[in-house]
Amino acid sequence: MHPSSFEYFAPTKMEEALELLSKYGEDAKIMSGGQSLIPLLKLRIASFPYVIDISGVQGLNRITENKEFLEIGALTTISSIADSELIKKRYQILHEAAGQIADPLIRNRGTIGGNISHGDPSNDIPAVAIALKANLEVIGKEGKRIVEAHSFVTDSFTNVLKVGEILNKIRIPVAPDNSGGCYIKQKKSAGDFSVAAIAVQLSLHDNDSVKSAGIGLTSVAPKPTRAMKAERFLEGKKINDSVVREAAKIVVSESDPSTDFYGSSEFKRKVLGKIAEEAINLSFERATVR
Amino acid sequence: MSELKWGDRELAYDSSAFVRGSGHYVDDIKLPGMIHMSVLRSPYARARILSLKGGMSSKDLGARMASVGEGASPEAGLSIEPVFATGFVNYVGEPVAAVFADDRYKSTDLLESIEVDYEPLEPVVTIDDALKLGPIHSGRKDNIMVETSKGTDFQDPESPIVIEDTLENDRISANPIEPRGIVTSYTDGMLNVWISTQAVHSVKEGLVESLGISPESVRVMQTDTGGGFGSKGGLYPEYVMASYASMKFGKPVKWIETRREHLASTNPGRGVRGKVKIFAERNGRINGLKGEVTIDAGAYDSGIASFSPGFVAMQMTGPYSIEKAFVVARALFTNKVPQGPYRGAGRPEASFFIERMMDMLADELAMDPADLRLLNMSDKPFVSPMGLKIDAARPFFEGAVRELEYRRESKMSRGVGLSFFVLVPAVYPGESARIIVKDGKVSVWLGGNSHGQGHEIFVKKLINEELQVPEELVTLYRGDTGMTKTGVGTWGSRSAIVAGAAIVAVCKKIKQEVEKEFGSYSVRSLLSSGYDEFINNELKMPLNSFGANLATVEIEKMGRVRVKKCAAYYDVGRALNRDMVIGQIQGGMAQGIGQTLHEGLFYNKEGQLITSSISDAGVPLAEDLPNFIVNIVENRSFLPHGAKGLGEAPTVGVPTALTRAIESVSGKRLRRTPVTPEELMK
Ligand SMILES: Cc1cc2nc3c(=O)[nH]c(=O)nc-3n(C[C@H](O)[C@H](O)[C@H](O)COP(=O)(O)OP(=O)(O)OC[C@H]3O[C@@H](n4cnc5c(N)ncnc54)[C@H](O)[C@@H]3O)c2cc1C
Repeated sequence: MHPSSFEYFAPTKMEEALELLSKYGEDAKIMSGGQSLIPLLKLRIASFPYVIDISGVQGLNRITENKEFLEIGALTTISSIADSELIKKRYQILHEAAGQIADPLIRNRGTIGGNISHGDPSNDIPAVAIALKANLEVIGKEGKRIVEAHSFVTDSFTNVLKVGEILNKIRIPVAPDNSGGCYIKQKKSAGDFSVAAIAVQLSLHDNDSVKSAGIGLTSVAPKPTRAMKAERFLEGKKINDSVVREAAKIVVSESDPSTDFYGSSEFKRKVLGKIAEEAINLSFERATVR
Repeated sequence: MSELKWGDRELAYDSSAFVRGSGHYVDDIKLPGMIHMSVLRSPYARARILSLKGGMSSKDLGARMASVGEGASPEAGLSIEPVFATGFVNYVGEPVAAVFADDRYKSTDLLESIEVDYEPLEPVVTIDDALKLGPIHSGRKDNIMVETSKGTDFQDPESPIVIEDTLENDRISANPIEPRGIVTSYTDGMLNVWISTQAVHSVKEGLVESLGISPESVRVMQTDTGGGFGSKGGLYPEYVMASYASMKFGKPVKWIETRREHLASTNPGRGVRGKVKIFAERNGRINGLKGEVTIDAGAYDSGIASFSPGFVAMQMTGPYSIEKAFVVARALFTNKVPQGPYRGAGRPEASFFIERMMDMLADELAMDPADLRLLNMSDKPFVSPMGLKIDAARPFFEGAVRELEYRRESKMSRGVGLSFFVLVPAVYPGESARIIVKDGKVSVWLGGNSHGQGHEIFVKKLINEELQVPEELVTLYRGDTGMTKTGVGTWGSRSAIVAGAAIVAVCKKIKQEVEKEFGSYSVRSLLSSGYDEFINNELKMPLNSFGANLATVEIEKMGRVRVKKCAAYYDVGRALNRDMVIGQIQGGMAQGIGQTLHEGLFYNKEGQLITSSISDAGVPLAEDLPNFIVNIVENRSFLPHGAKGLGEAPTVGVPTALTRAIESVSGKRLRRTPVTPEELMK
C-alpha cells in the first residue's frame, strides 16, 4: 500500500491546472477527491510521475439552477449533492444516488467530476447523468466543448477526454412538469458498490403517456450503460404492468453483466429485471404526483 | 516506540488502551538503523520458476518452514512450506523473494527490480480438482496429504430412513484489524523479535528449528496484538526471512503485512466438505452415522491442515448419543494458500455437518427439529464411538429450549433456527505461568498471549482470590519468551481454562513459600518479601461444554437476509468476568453471522484470488448485526477456578442456527456457507 513516488501539484486556478496538464501530457494525472485514484496508486495498479490535484481550483464546487439547467461544478462533493435541498426537492434521482454512494467519509471527499471521469462501470453517478440526459462541459487549453453523458465513458475506466482536458461542469436540463425519477441500487452490504443499479427518469404527457424516458444502468456492463431500446419502447406508451414487464425485459437485454463475487451474470440479470420494474413503477408514480 | 524493558507500563496488557487509541503495536516500533522488508509473491497458482534474479530468495536461505502451533503432527514432516519458493510456486501469494530498504516506499519500489521467469502449470484449485488431477508435489502419488478415520466401520443397518448429503464451509480469512507484523534485531549473538502474535513460544520454536539456531539465542516478545482469530498462532515464512535478514545485515528489520497480503498469504480457515449419511428409525431415533470429511488444505501442510481431518471427524456426532459411527477424513493438497486455524478450527465445520443433517432428518420425518434432537441425546454422560466425551446432554438442551424461548419463537414465525453443540476446547497440554513478587508488586507472565481477549482481567481476579492481593498491584505483561521458559498459546477456547489453572497453581506454590517463610500466609508478608515462581501446568483431561443458539431471520428483497435475533445459551463454567464473557460471545456471534452471510475466499479457475480486498472478502458490518441476547449458564468445571471454554462457542453455534433459520423461511435446502442472495433467489 505504498505508491511509487510522484511529484504533486495543487493549482488553485483553472489556467494553472491546464498549463500543468499540457506541460506533462500523458505523465500527468488529475486528482479531485482522490477516492478512486489514491487506492489505484497505493495498490500500484497505476502510477504517474505527476499528480495534479485540482481540488483547490476555485469556483468549481457550486450547485446552481437557471431556467434551462441545473449546473453542478465538477469539484462538488458527493455529500454536497446528497445534502443539497435544491437537488433533494427537484432532482430526487440524483439525491437518491448520491446518498447511496460508499460511506460518509468517501462522500465528503469524492467529487461528481471524479465519479463520472473515473469510468468505473460500478460508479453510480454516470447512470444518473445518462437518465437525466446531462451535458458534460469539458475544458481544455483550446476551449470548452460539450459531451453528452451517455457517450462520455467509452469503456471500463476510459473516457472521451483528451490529454490535457478536464471535466468542468455537469449540466442537467430542468425537468418539465409531470416528471419523476428514481435510483434503485441493490447492494451486498452497506457502503458497497452495487450488484446492479438503475436510474430511471420519466416525463409524462397530460394523458399520462410517456413523453420521454431516460434509463441508465450501473454495474451490469463493462461501462455505464444507456438502455436506449427500453427508453424508446416506453416513449408514447401508457404505463401498466405488462408495459413495465416488457420494458424491464428490454433493459435486461441491453445489459451485459459479468460473473464475479457479487454473483453470476444470470443472478445480476435477474436482479436488474426486478429493480427495473420497480424503478419504472416508482418513477411513474412520482411523475404523476401533481 | 523504541525498545522497552520489563517494568515499563507500556509492556503491560491493558485492554482499555485499545479503546483509548494508546496501544503499542509492532508497527509503532522504530529502532535506529531499521530497514523495511517487502516480499515478492507468486502471481501464479502453480508454476515452475525458470529463473530468478535479485532480492533475497531460496538461493540465500535454503531453510524450510517448521510446523508449529495447534495440531503440529509428526506426519507433518512432508510438504512443509519453504521460506522462499524453491523451484516451484504453489499458490498465488507464495513468497518468492524479499527486498530491503530504509523505508517502505523504497522497499516496495525494489520489488519491481526482481526478475522472475515462470512457466505456468495447470493448477489444482478445488477439492474436486485435487481428487481428479495429478499431484501438485512431485514425488507424491496423489494429492492426499493425510487420511485417517474415526470410529469403527459397521454394516449399513436396515433402517427405514436413510438420508445423505454433502455440506461445505468455504474458506474464510481471519481478517483481524491489525494484520501480521514483525520487527527483528540481532545484537551480540542474540536475536530479539517483537511480534503481533497469539503465541510467542510457537514463533520462537519455529525460528529455532527453521534457522537452526540455539533456543538461548532467540527471544520473542509480543507487542499489543490487534486480533488474530487463529491466524497468528504459528510461524510464517516472513518471520524467518526477517530474522535471517537482521542477522545477515546486522540491522533491525521490520515487516508489516498489507491487507492484500493478508487475504492472499495468511493461512485462512474452514474450506471443509463433509459427506454425511444418517440411518434412522421412523420415530427419529438415529441408528448410525457414516461420513467423509475432506479438507481443502492448500499447497503445504500448515500443521493444522494435517491435524484437522481427525479432529473434525472426531466431533461428527456432535452432542448426540449415536451408538454407531464411522468417519473417513482426509486433507488434500490444492494450489491455494495453506489452510490454517480460524476461530473454531474444525469445531464449526463438524457442527455444521451434524446440525444440518439433524435439521434435514427432522424435515424428512416432519418432526420438530428440537424434538428430534431431544430424542437423540442422553440423560447420562456419553462417550461417542469416535471417543468424544460428553456430559448429560438432555438437561442442558431442555434448559436451552426453554430459555431461548424456542417454542414461542417457532410458533410466531417460520424463520427460526436452533442449534446445539458440544465445545471441545484445546486443553492439551496445559499452559505455563510465572509470577514475580518484588517491591510490593506482583508481575505476571503467561505462556499463551492475549490478542485482544483481555487476559489481564481474569488474571488479576484469580490472583486476588488466591492471594488476596489488591488487583491494582497486579500487572500482566505481554508474552515474552525471555520471561517464561515454555508456553503454549491462546487459541482453541483455552485460556480461561489452562492459563487460569496455571495462575492458580503458581499462586498455591507462592502461598506455600510464604507460609514456609512466615509461618502463616498474609498479603502483607507476601508483598514484603520477594518470590519468583514459574509453573508449566499440565492439563490433559478433556473439558467439554454445551452450547445452543437460536436465530431468527427475515428475507428481504433480492435474497438479502436480515438477522432479527441472535441468542446464545452457553455453559461457560464459572464466568470469571461477566462483561468479558458477554463481549467474547457478541464478537463471536458477529463472526458467525459473517461466515453465514458474507465471508468467503473465492478463487477463479486459474487459482487467482478474486476476493482480494477486505470489502470483497465480506466482513460483517454494523448494519448486519441484530441485538444479541446472551444467556450464561454457570456449571463450574472440575478445575479449582471453575472455568470452561468459551471463545469459539459462537462461531460453532451461530452458523448452524442461522443457516437453519434462513432455510426454514426460504424453503431452500442450504448446504454451504456463505449463504448468498443468489442462492436464495434461485
Ligand atoms: C470503499 C469505496 C467504496 C466506494 N463505493 C462507491 C459506490 O458505491 N458508488 C460510487 O459511485 N462510487 C463509489 N466509490 C468511488 C467514489 O465515489 C469515487 O472515488 C469518487 O466519487 C470519485 O471522485 P474523486 O473526486 O475521488 O476522484 P479521483 O479519485 O480524484 O479521480 C478519479 C479519476 O477521475 C479523474 N478525474 C477526477 N476529476 C476529474 C475531472 N474533473 N476531470 C477529468 N478527470 C477527472 C482522475 O484523473 C482519476 O482518473 C467508492 C470508493 C471507495 C474507496
